[in-house]
Amino acid sequence: MSRSAPCMRLIAAVLLMFPLATPALAHKASDSFLYVDTGQSELRIDVALRDLALLMPLDRNGDQQLSGREVRAQRAVITRTLEEAVTVASASGSCSLTGTDWGISTHSDGHYSAARYRLGCPNGEAPQTLSYTLLFDRDSLHRGLVRIDSGDRHTLAVLSPAERTVNLLPGTAPGAWGIFTTFLYEGVIHLLIGLDHILFLLVLVLPASLMSASPGSTGPPGLRPRLIQLAGIVTAFTLAHSVTLALAALGIVRLPVAWIETVIALSIALAALNVVWPVFGRKTWRLAFAFGLVHGFGFASVLGDLTGGEANLAVALAGFNLGVEVGQLGLLVLGFPMLYLLARFRLYQRALVPAVLAGVGGISLLWVIERAASI
Amino acid sequence: MTCCGNASLRRIHTGLSPALFFPALRGRAFSFWIGLVSLMAWPIPVAAAPAPIQTNFADEAILARLPDAVPRSTRLPPSAAAMAEEVQALIDQARGSGDPRFLGYAERRFQQWPDDAMTDRLRVLRATLAQSLHRFDEARQDLAEVLNRSADRRQRIQARLTLANLETVQGRYHQARAHCQRLSTEFPGLIAASCLAQVDARSGATRAAYDRLANQLAAAGNTGSAGYLWARGTLGDIAAQLGLASAEAHWQAVLASSPTDLYTRTQLADWYLRNGQVQSVMALTLGYEQVDALAVLRVIAMRRTGHPDQDGLANRIRERFEEAQWRGALLHKRDFARFQLAIEERPDIALRHAMANWETQREPLDTALALRAAIAADDQAAVRTLRNWLEQTGQSDARYPELP
Repeated sequence: MSRSAPCMRLIAAVLLMFPLATPALAHKASDSFLYVDTGQSELRIDVALRDLALLMPLDRNGDQQLSGREVRAQRAVITRTLEEAVTVASASGSCSLTGTDWGISTHSDGHYSAARYRLGCPNGEAPQTLSYTLLFDRDSLHRGLVRIDSGDRHTLAVLSPAERTVNLLPGTAPGAWGIFTTFLYEGVIHLLIGLDHILFLLVLVLPASLMSASPGSTGPPGLRPRLIQLAGIVTAFTLAHSVTLALAALGIVRLPVAWIETVIALSIALAALNVVWPVFGRKTWRLAFAFGLVHGFGFASVLGDLTGGEANLAVALAGFNLGVEVGQLGLLVLGFPMLYLLARFRLYQRALVPAVLAGVGGISLLWVIERAASI
Repeated sequence: MTCCGNASLRRIHTGLSPALFFPALRGRAFSFWIGLVSLMAWPIPVAAAPAPIQTNFADEAILARLPDAVPRSTRLPPSAAAMAEEVQALIDQARGSGDPRFLGYAERRFQQWPDDAMTDRLRVLRATLAQSLHRFDEARQDLAEVLNRSADRRQRIQARLTLANLETVQGRYHQARAHCQRLSTEFPGLIAASCLAQVDARSGATRAAYDRLANQLAAAGNTGSAGYLWARGTLGDIAAQLGLASAEAHWQAVLASSPTDLYTRTQLADWYLRNGQVQSVMALTLGYEQVDALAVLRVIAMRRTGHPDQDGLANRIRERFEEAQWRGALLHKRDFARFQLAIEERPDIALRHAMANWETQREPLDTALALRAAIAADDQAAVRTLRNWLEQTGQSDARYPELP
């Protein structure tokens, strides 16, 4: 392969370069790790020894290996190089770096030099920005991976040749709160655009608006008992789908989505049926709970689509769940008074409710057939 | 992530039937809240706390081994030829070791190099670099420029071959065939024949492509040439597609003379794994743990045999992927997806990444993984997308047993 005839060299060059596109291969690209604790005013910087060896003569004996002795001998050069490449600043100016610990640590690709600093910012201010330039003029793929701890909030950031400064102030980077609000919004949206959950809720709520006089009492019950019943139904539904949503989102229980969607559709039809013929009994909250478990798995499939390996899954989950609740309560607050008022008219009970039930039942049965076909 | 963004991702069937009622749980609302709260507090690794700083490490400990071919300074090479030599060495190093740091060094060199001093050879090298960083359009642009403007025959051939390969990898067989045909007039021989055979095999004429290339190889006779090895590697690929046992011998022949060919090593390890030859996977991946693709194949083999280090290796791979995700640019989506599917048993996440990968790379292993993930995640839409493409291209492969 290494013959020197021009044509052969060409082939050799061809062969060397040819397969590069195909393999998905690698060690890992070069990363430094920077951990900033804004509350404690501390900074820790971990840089791969391999990468440091590009910048300074670490391998004194030239054996292509770095011993503990060789690394220790260059401690001063290492820390000076780091301190030149990293700048932390507060509102009034640069903060001083005072070394507290130095040694080695490990990451996924081997040993790193690790240094911890106390940050001294002017007038005792909190650090505001972190700038970093190490290795960018050697390796375009080098990155500074930053974790910012402020109180109990953790934020991740990445420094690159194009983005050499990161803001350390809370609220400026999308942290746990950002994820939470994003998923809160997604939860509301999903409930509102997910017709099956809304129909299910409607069918559950209808009986509460229809409550007839119980035997022995003088007339139809007032608003109070209806609200209590309603609260019971909604709470049961919420509890149930929260549990299964969590179980599914955390990967503890997994069910095939096609099945779940079919059962959800079936649940709507059965709930509609139950209003007319209470085969599952008059205690609607039980029905709400049982089917709520299934609906939770339905929410989870959407949440799974949105997160896909998201690190802050618990936060996303809490936000999404709460979003679903907010959407649900919003609908009830708007819708139930209307149903309550309508319930005063005979036509509501005689015609509108049966029509709604028949319509909802029909649609959901259609869904059952459609979804069952795709299993 | 385009394709899987809108598709509804399905979850695996664990054998549990959809539960309408959990009688044992009924009426215990309070314990549910407790359960829910404890689930919310489930430890999710968010860039796990770093390893502690060790201050009293031993003087004698070997902490790192350094590679040879690193740029010694930031000073640019004195000539375009010297620059090309250096960049070529860096790309070769990346290819042979699977170490992307060398790609970063090479790219940095190109950033420093003045535009008006670019040569055809440098442009082809820059395209090769872009290709290995999965920036296919950039690569295409540089190669097209060389093909349109260059009078340098050698660089034109190199550009043509690189472009043919790029189009093949992306599953654009029509374009790839056109380049292979041009190549066979401009540079006839086993390399052009392999180029055409690969494209034919991927677009329906698999058996004919295999027989023709095997005949051309036999006729050529020169077993020591680069073209010979190239054809053997291609025959290995096509044999695997046909499910022929000869795949092993072809790939072994390539590996025997270039053991650092990580592409072939990965193909063969995958082949062994599919055929249940777990010990052969272990032997082939020994010492290649630092290469994502081979590490993932190795850990799957370990799991199948109940190897005592399976959790150790899985943890190392997991940490590597976590760092890559923190970085934000997951270069090896296929390996990540395979790890998620086979080891983490998260078909939904596996499918998302397998499909994102498949959007840019459509090698048989990419397609095979996407299919498996789609079926495991029970995503009919994704299965349809894959099946449609396979029907459209006429591609069949023994490694897609899920399809009739």
